[in-house]
Amino acid sequence: MFQSSSQKQFWTFTSEKDIDVLRTEANGRYIEQHKKKTKGQDVTSFFLSADEEHVLCRHYEHLLRDFCRRFEPPMPPAVKGTACAYFKRFYLRNTVMDYHPKFIMLTCVYLACKVEEFNVSITQFCANLTADQERAAELILVHELLVMQELDFHLTVHNPLRPLEGFLIDIKTRFTSLSNPEQLRKPADEFLQRSFASNVCLLYTPSQIALTALVTSAAKQQVNIDKYVTECLLSSTDKKELRELVSTIKRIRSMVNNIPPLDIEVVRSLEKKLEQCGNPELNPDSEEYKRKQQELLNAEDEDFSLGISSAQEEENRQQEAQMLMSV
Amino acid sequence: MEMLDDQACPRCKSTKFRNPALKLLVNVCGHTLCENCVEVLFVRGSGACPSCNTPLRRNQFRVQEFEDAYVEKEVDIRKRILKEFNRQEDEFTSLQEYNDYLEEVETIIFNLTNEIDMEATKKKVELYRKKNKESIMKNRSKQSSDQAYLEALIQEEKEKEEEKRQQLQFLERQTKSQKKRDKEALIDELIYSDMPAARVIASHTANVETQEAPVFKLPKKMTLATGIKVGLGYQDTFLPVPKQEVVVYQYEEEHYETYGPTAPTTEEIDTQRYNRHVRPASPQGEAGGYGHNLACLRALQEAFSGLLFFPLIHGKKEEASVMETS
Repeated sequence: MFQSSSQKQFWTFTSEKDIDVLRTEANGRYIEQHKKKTKGQDVTSFFLSADEEHVLCRHYEHLLRDFCRRFEPPMPPAVKGTACAYFKRFYLRNTVMDYHPKFIMLTCVYLACKVEEFNVSITQFCANLTADQERAAELILVHELLVMQELDFHLTVHNPLRPLEGFLIDIKTRFTSLSNPEQLRKPADEFLQRSFASNVCLLYTPSQIALTALVTSAAKQQVNIDKYVTECLLSSTDKKELRELVSTIKRIRSMVNNIPPLDIEVVRSLEKKLEQCGNPELNPDSEEYKRKQQELLNAEDEDFSLGISSAQEEENRQQEAQMLMSV
Repeated sequence: MEMLDDQACPRCKSTKFRNPALKLLVNVCGHTLCENCVEVLFVRGSGACPSCNTPLRRNQFRVQEFEDAYVEKEVDIRKRILKEFNRQEDEFTSLQEYNDYLEEVETIIFNLTNEIDMEATKKKVELYRKKNKESIMKNRSKQSSDQAYLEALIQEEKEKEEEKRQQLQFLERQTKSQKKRDKEALIDELIYSDMPAARVIASHTANVETQEAPVFKLPKKMTLATGIKVGLGYQDTFLPVPKQEVVVYQYEEEHYETYGPTAPTTEEIDTQRYNRHVRPASPQGEAGGYGHNLACLRALQEAFSGLLFFPLIHGKKEEASVMETS
């Protein structure tokens, strides 16, 4: 139930400003940590700004939805919504410079499949990718725990899809004057799909988003369901709350309808910029990352065979010394 | 050697090594004296301990069981205290209480042994004795469960032994009479048979060898149909049931703030025919306990909950209430 969920408690923010603050903080932390790498270059031209990051995120969210749409076997719509929510939540506290969104995006989808009880194995999952599948599988599994941790293990996401279903059932039952309620479904669904691209799931409750979808769809189909909302659904609600709800619906609608378009050229330039300012220690393709992993592995090995190796080294050193002496 | 030397009378300094017949006695204060010195010092029946000046009675002297006087004293005090503090585990409602009681008893014994808070502890013991006079008497007459168990064990052992003894006796008697009969038969045969004596004897020995050993049959034990054991196995099981003082759980209906219009109840789903509009459950699903009413209810609840949740208004309110409670 939404009212007792972690989504309501921790992941529903009061305003877009709060979200921007979080993103800017994450961005600022990264820049603070990696200032030295600029080598005299201007900080703003070297690092991505929070806004630029957001553009990149949106680009990858788009890819994520596209990936979900093409996924074989076809996935239930809730997986897409949940994956989008994970992705958005993840980049509230992290920057794309630390974790490249191409990995996080796949991990979010994989995790969402599990949480939404859509059972695919990792090989089945990676069969949908064109690139090196084994490597992808490995990277997804590497990032999985990280993503969960950054989500504070709040894995249950309440999507607006089921509430929409609920409203349709309610309309069919209580608002029988509407002749063909099924005609509302398709446009409402489309509205919800578009809403995944916006921040509404971080700001409003799933039922509010679903109601907005329904109202928008009704307007599109030139059906009037105002009576349903005021007389059936919210008959016992006081005026103040009703007004608040109306303004909320308006805000959701304007947010979903006014998603700024993505300029692919800008995205490309930003990706190039990301290549130079990304954190190489966390980038699985970089030399630094491999070296660090190797170091970690070695450290474990050393712990394991410390006794033997140190004795051997000592022996080797002595032999070398003797050889040097004899020369 | 050292051990023998250690056991010395503090007064006459004679040791076990020099005098193997030395018998060390101990009194309530825990100090030792040899038998001779006790006789000399306590001619009149009472006197003071030469080590600590505690007034002692002669008839309270007993043979030292442990070399360490401290242990001796502790054992002595323990015996005395446990005579009064003789409550059993089943008198307590919880294990916690029983443990607390045991703890207290141990503290008293320790205090008395080490002479810590002597006055207070003695008062405590006295108070306890007065308070629980009846239950102490009752418990004294009652066997402790350990004792009963031990007795049952001993009884069982005795029965087994008795059985074995009877078996042996029976065998002995049987073989004796058998031998006697064999012998008589042999003589009879030797008298009346026409066969040569050697052959008669040979066939007789073969006969004896093939004879079966007598089988011992157990006398049937007496048991009652109710399963109650007769004899010492019987225990007094009609103790008063200890009172349990527990607060009875009372169900309070949970109230949820749904931040939205009230969703239809489970009954309304049926009566108002909400469930017409959902896919009916498959037989497989129904076998697993799923019904289409569940899906219907869930969709409706999710639609209605949070509809009127406005983070700007409610978020602040909740924060305020959290602040108040903290």
